[in-house]
Amino acid sequence: MTVHERDVVIVGGGPAGLAAAHRLAAAGLSVTVVDEQAELGGQYFRRPAPEVARVWGDHRPEGGRLVGAVRAAGVECRTGHLVWGVGDDGRTLLVCDPAERPVRLRGRYLIIATGAHERPFPFPGWQLPGVTTPGFAQHLAAADHTPIGERVVLAGSGPFLLPVACSLLDLGVTVAGIAEAGRPYRPSTRALGTVRHPARLRELAGYAARLARARVPLWQNTVVVRADGGDRITSVTLAAATAPTRPVRTVQVDALCVGYGFRPQTDLARMLGCAVRTDPATGDATPELDDSGRSSRDDVYVIGEAAGIGGAPVAEVRGLAAALDILGREGHEPRAGEVRGLAAAGRRLAHFKRLTDALYPAPAELARLLPSALPDAATLCRCEAVSAGEVRGIARTAGRDVNAAKAWTRAGMGPCQGRECGFAVTAVTRVSPADGLPAGVFPSRLPVRPVPVATLLEMAGEGEPA
Amino acid sequence: MRAKAVIGTPPRTVTIHVDGRPVSVVEGVSLAAALVGDRTWTFRYNPVSEEPRGPFCGMGVCLECEVTVDGRPGVRACLTPVRPGMRVETEEERA
Ligand code: FES
Repeated sequence: MTVHERDVVIVGGGPAGLAAAHRLAAAGLSVTVVDEQAELGGQYFRRPAPEVARVWGDHRPEGGRLVGAVRAAGVECRTGHLVWGVGDDGRTLLVCDPAERPVRLRGRYLIIATGAHERPFPFPGWQLPGVTTPGFAQHLAAADHTPIGERVVLAGSGPFLLPVACSLLDLGVTVAGIAEAGRPYRPSTRALGTVRHPARLRELAGYAARLARARVPLWQNTVVVRADGGDRITSVTLAAATAPTRPVRTVQVDALCVGYGFRPQTDLARMLGCAVRTDPATGDATPELDDSGRSSRDDVYVIGEAAGIGGAPVAEVRGLAAALDILGREGHEPRAGEVRGLAAAGRRLAHFKRLTDALYPAPAELARLLPSALPDAATLCRCEAVSAGEVRGIARTAGRDVNAAKAWTRAGMGPCQGRECGFAVTAVTRVSPADGLPAGVFPSRLPVRPVPVATLLEMAGEGEPA
Repeated sequence: MRAKAVIGTPPRTVTIHVDGRPVSVVEGVSLAAALVGDRTWTFRYNPVSEEPRGPFCGMGVCLECEVTVDGRPGVRACLTPVRPGMRVETEEERA
């Protein structure tokens, strides 16, 4: 099988990957972007179906413009392509095309822009149909003009819950309430710093005003403690985050969207051998990178949310920084002021991010708080249907070793590879609050996603490339 | 903010077949949206617990939205745009 050789291969066509691709292709390098989705844009710039955009409008037209510019710059866009592993040479990406045929891609430089996924935390009934991430509700609303339900509660933590609630209101959905685990929405000295970033502050304030006008209740210091229903959720029960064993209210709903922010998606970077460390604030595996996003491997960059959660504007800055570093190494002269301007933008955004982070409970705090609300009978790992009690039992006898708990119970070993339950398994394994957040980096294993058997058979028939 | 609807131009639709039933959906939306819009929430059953499951992440990560499309099993509905005439099998019938 032929290996497609390019100057740069970028995995992930979200804000970071697109920004890097555009800059590199504009300078004349041959660039391929690979993405699992049917169209470029990633999660943030998720493209609506053309018919949805025509009738109801495009929620982020700037995303459409960026995708158009990337295509016009001559970037090869391989959408609907799944990158599922790395070849024995440690460089060749093993890919499956939309027709399930194997494809091999190799770049002199590799840019990993695989984004983030949401951070759920289990509760009894979280596996019921109708319980989803806020991201799913947002995609349904913005890209598909489809309401997730008629009466919905949003829960979890972080600024993302507010725009999702507004998107649901736009579709005529009754948002029965927003349960936020922290207490971010009050004037506090910490919030004052955001005045230096009026645009971003206005955005959040705008959502809050919209929700207030629609009289959407905002319950702070509140977490979901259970969901009930048969083959679809019918009610959600909430409690104070600080006293999760005493429920305070039950709300009738037909959909519940819960998320505690985002986690970097680093499995491909780890599979490529990029050094990672456990971020003490989040417990998440985070690649070790220099300012340009270059990893411990000289030819591999990690950018965007995969490099650490920062939001779309940060992702674009990181994408451009990596592109400029590569162009420098290729002997291109940077444009006047480009490097300096980018560094300044990066500093401004990092400052805003620190302020926003300070408003919401840190993941390490959630990992201390939430396990106490999780009864032993609750499903912890949804793929393998492993209960919290099973994992706790092993954790007690096996010295709180996450990998032992996984091996004995199969928690985190199903098709999602612990992406949904990994944070919770790690948190639950820590038995006493004094233990601190364990460095439970789930090992990355091949394939990153299940691969169609047909693809593997075709590869086996052809043997490994020279 | 989203642009207002253009009055008098209803969206073009296509017909797909869900467990043998014709369903009319807006052209090009995701299959997950098509099913949820049609009030189908049980996409599959968990092989271990046999509980009903539906889409969770909406971004290709959880694999809870896998259905059979035109005879091909294990297709993630959240990443798959609808095509006219598409034949979709959920496991809903099993209940
Ligand atoms: S809903 Fe999670 S993979 Fe489709």
